[in-house]
Amino acid sequence: MAIFKKKEIAKNEFDQVIVGTSLTKEAWKRLKKNRLAVVGGVIVIIYAIIALCADLLPIYPYDEAITVHRNLRPSLTKTAGDLMLEQEMKNMFFQAWRQGRLELSDQEDAQIEAWVKASKTNDVWDLVYARGMEAIEDGSFEWNSSEQSRIDRMLNQIATETQITVNRVSVQYEGQTRNIEAMDYEELRDLYASLLGVETDVLEESLYNEVRSSVGNEVRANDSTLSGDDLEAAIDMEMNALGEAGIHDRASTNVIGYIEQLALRGANSDVQALIDSGSIELPYEGTFDLSNGLHVELEVSLMHQRRYICGTDYLGRDLLSRIIYGSQISIAIGIVGTVTSIFIGILVGALAGYLGGKVDYYLMRFVDIMYGLPYMLLVIICMAIFGRNIINLFFALALVSWLTIARMVRGQIMSLKNQEYVEAARSMGASTMHIIFRHMIPNSLSIIIVYSTIRIPAFIMQESFLSFLGLGVQAPYASWGSLIGDAVSSMALYPYKLIIPSIVMVVFLFSMNFFGDGLRDAFDPQSKNQL
Amino acid sequence: MEDRQIILQVKNLRQHFPIDGGGLLKKTVGYIRAVDGISFDVYKGETVGIVGESGCGKSTTVRSIAQLYKPTTGEVLFHGVDLCKADKDTLLKERRNIQMIFQDPYASLDPRMTVRNIIMEPLKVYNSRGLLEKKYTDDELDERVKDLMEKVGINKAFVNRYPHEFSGGQRQRIGIARALALRPEIILADEPVSALDVSIQAQILNLISDIQKEMGVTFIFIAHDLGVIQHISHRVIVMYLGKIMEVAGSDELYSRPLHPYTEALLSAAPIPDPKVERNRQRIVLEGDVPSPDKERHCCYFYDRCSKRMDKCAHCVPPMFDCGNGHKVACFLYDDKPVAEPADDQPTEGELKLKEKQEKRQGKAKA
Repeated sequence: MAIFKKKEIAKNEFDQVIVGTSLTKEAWKRLKKNRLAVVGGVIVIIYAIIALCADLLPIYPYDEAITVHRNLRPSLTKTAGDLMLEQEMKNMFFQAWRQGRLELSDQEDAQIEAWVKASKTNDVWDLVYARGMEAIEDGSFEWNSSEQSRIDRMLNQIATETQITVNRVSVQYEGQTRNIEAMDYEELRDLYASLLGVETDVLEESLYNEVRSSVGNEVRANDSTLSGDDLEAAIDMEMNALGEAGIHDRASTNVIGYIEQLALRGANSDVQALIDSGSIELPYEGTFDLSNGLHVELEVSLMHQRRYICGTDYLGRDLLSRIIYGSQISIAIGIVGTVTSIFIGILVGALAGYLGGKVDYYLMRFVDIMYGLPYMLLVIICMAIFGRNIINLFFALALVSWLTIARMVRGQIMSLKNQEYVEAARSMGASTMHIIFRHMIPNSLSIIIVYSTIRIPAFIMQESFLSFLGLGVQAPYASWGSLIGDAVSSMALYPYKLIIPSIVMVVFLFSMNFFGDGLRDAFDPQSKNQL
Repeated sequence: MEDRQIILQVKNLRQHFPIDGGGLLKKTVGYIRAVDGISFDVYKGETVGIVGESGCGKSTTVRSIAQLYKPTTGEVLFHGVDLCKADKDTLLKERRNIQMIFQDPYASLDPRMTVRNIIMEPLKVYNSRGLLEKKYTDDELDERVKDLMEKVGINKAFVNRYPHEFSGGQRQRIGIARALALRPEIILADEPVSALDVSIQAQILNLISDIQKEMGVTFIFIAHDLGVIQHISHRVIVMYLGKIMEVAGSDELYSRPLHPYTEALLSAAPIPDPKVERNRQRIVLEGDVPSPDKERHCCYFYDRCSKRMDKCAHCVPPMFDCGNGHKVACFLYDDKPVAEPADDQPTEGELKLKEKQEKRQGKAKA
């Protein structure tokens, strides 16, 4: 059990030290023999690494919305520009077919009519596009002038339009170069005031009002029936709940956004000049010193050269990046929820199981009552009362999820309580805490570990369920559940939006379950239902 | 032998476990009288064997002495200190001198601890509270663990091994080392050899006698194997249904059993000689051991005794002293002086229960 084990070295052949194999070590050996569990474990680890390293991966920001790129299908080979053009052409081919300029066989006409009735838009598009391209090849179809000019305009757009991403804004502040994201509220406020050339009080006032109005919007979104004085009172209450620190936090986020926009605007002309002069090659990364004292690190790239492996969502955000950042949140919820529920569960279960009697009776009746409540409803009520953010989601899920663990630990402890080694410990005068922490918990740990690996998928499912209902993670953050929830409305038109996050989630849940099963078999060598 | 020093005195010890009547309120409807008023003395340096069939209260007796259960009534005097009424600190201090060896060597060692940690555990518990002779450092404790391992005959290179890597006999040695760790004056051995192979049993018994000779530890030794008891103990207590039937020196008891139950018990032990065994007349008791949940005002062995008399049905026999430390609870010997009077007073819990039941009956009648 000791973490810092003294390393023992054999001094001579008479004084050998033989290291024993603990039960955990043996379980580990057995686990390694279970191939399915190992594969599951490896997949889980890969997921965890990808989620942890999301910031380092070469992916587009998960909250950067490029409106012209919305709803692009996933493609490994084509760039965003190609896909945009393809989509535009599909539309135009369809119109041409409607106008009778694109001629297809009667059978195909009937087929398209049938598809249109069944609103199988994708099939229609694919067919007209394929036939249209063939027709252009063999010269039986030509674009008319307005269509041609649309295509030319688009090609030009694709070749030239740039996307400027601000990576970092720093400023010379009191003699130091500071990243604005690392500055606190007062510094940011003073900086922004000096940048705009307004009084600090005026700015502070307007920042406060901004936060208040955004809080007001949230309040209205939660309860649309409020109005007049009631609404004002509700907003005041929310503002009080936020407190000064909370308000400053929100204001800081706003100010950082404004300064970035300011920097972007300032640098824009310089960048354009550089591009027009043709002296830089895209994509380009560079630093610009602006006249107002800001240093901006920028990345300039051709907007339509982007490749979306998993496509984009309805706002033109990269789905791959959203899935990766979503897995961050989903896995974090799985782990944090499990860890907190295990802590509470072990504590309650161990006390109830070991002390027994009245303590046990009342704790378990409390657990029974909690069990009796419909827990999803409880979570939903919690989220509705305390507001929809991730911390509250963690809290709400942990609140109801320790019950099973507490019962399980209690049962385990009760069976361990009458073991002779516990009696031995009691007969040598060990204290209750010593017995619980030295004997009981280590001996029930294997069951707890197994159970928690099975709990993680359950938590992810619950979070997904809540997010699917719109109660979980709020935009711009994503989780697997919210991605799937967003995709459902346009399921027929853009099935990839539903399928890709679902596959990602299902693979994770499968491997987690296989891993958990493997752990159970490894920790319990007596069970005979192994492969 | 005369100036032997009494180290432990058990006086009228009772251990009653309440029976829950089920239902919501968990009303107590009766008591299992696991140990029902026993008294005996243990002298320094001797081995007292306790025999009896299953369920006669042997294990409960030693567990009550070790204060693993709080005795219902009675006194356990260790060096004159009543352990049942002692406060926590005194109990802890005295407990150091009373250690236990358990029956099942597979269950009595924590499977997640190394041998070092298992043997060191009692030392650490006492060391951290400063109840040892002095504060030991971890290295000194480690040395002590290794000494103990050598003493009980386990290679000290195995300190880092886990219990499941040892055989039953080796584990029992570890259990003995743990019991010896605090250098106790008295060790309560609860059937330490009954879970072992016969060849291993002999080794463990020899180890126990060696330790006793070397360290002068007093043993209370439980077994249901009469041969084992004869081999190891100086004095033997025969128990039946939570009562002591007979106390005698080991040789005396085996050669001249007085109580009818002891006679029956001894005749049940096989003799390892086929010729003698075949010609031997066995005393077979009728019926089963009665349930220990009733209050009895007769001889506890009355139902099954072949020599029962009218007298036996009406009062509990006291202990009669037959001389030479041989005491027996049987009216066959009522010409001998009474050593200890019988005490069949009900306990407080039982009185309350009776009162309640009488009230209920009274109400029912009214």
